[in-house]
Amino acid sequence: MTREIITDVLLALAVLTVAGAALGTAVMPDAYARLHFVTPAAVVAPAGVTLAVFVREGLDYSTGATFIALVFMVAASPFLSHATARAIRVRERGDWHQAAERPAETSADRPADKPGARVREPR
Amino acid sequence: MISFIAAAMAMLLMLVPAGVTMIRGTLADAVVGYELVTSVAVMVLALLAEGFKRPSLFELPVLLAVLLYGSGLVFVRALERGL
Repeated sequence: MTREIITDVLLALAVLTVAGAALGTAVMPDAYARLHFVTPAAVVAPAGVTLAVFVREGLDYSTGATFIALVFMVAASPFLSHATARAIRVRERGDWHQAAERPAETSADRPADKPGARVREPR
Repeated sequence: MISFIAAAMAMLLMLVPAGVTMIRGTLADAVVGYELVTSVAVMVLALLAEGFKRPSLFELPVLLAVLLYGSGLVFVRALERGL
């Protein structure tokens, strides 16, 4: 009985996380803000599902397979989010290195003026 | 058993906002929505496999989790190069 309650609580937590992520993705104004809501659905909710399967089945094939899926998702999600944000920036500005408008720097602040500095050539 | 299937159904229902975002948003919004849908699909497949007591079906979420990274990068690359 206790095991079933814990399983249900973990599953409810996973569903609520996905619900929040889905609503956040729908409500946010631009793609950068929407991207923040993908990570909970790709990291927190799978962890809840894996724990629920573990509580129900114990150390079983099902738990192992779900854990492997969780590991792949946790490993891939940050890289994918970063790559997506970079791609959106490249699409909007042409180059992700391009900086926004900033106030003029003094010569002492410029990296090229420091001894041994490596200067990146513009594309 | 029924709780796993109910959770899978609830998660499938939560894909509707992401689908609306993919349809109505820009191309960047659609890629973000696609990433959310793929992540949720992995969990739905795992929940259904557990709910129906079919351990052999756990291959599907594992495979989709592996492919999630590669397929996401394909779409990201296409987004960057200008679809």
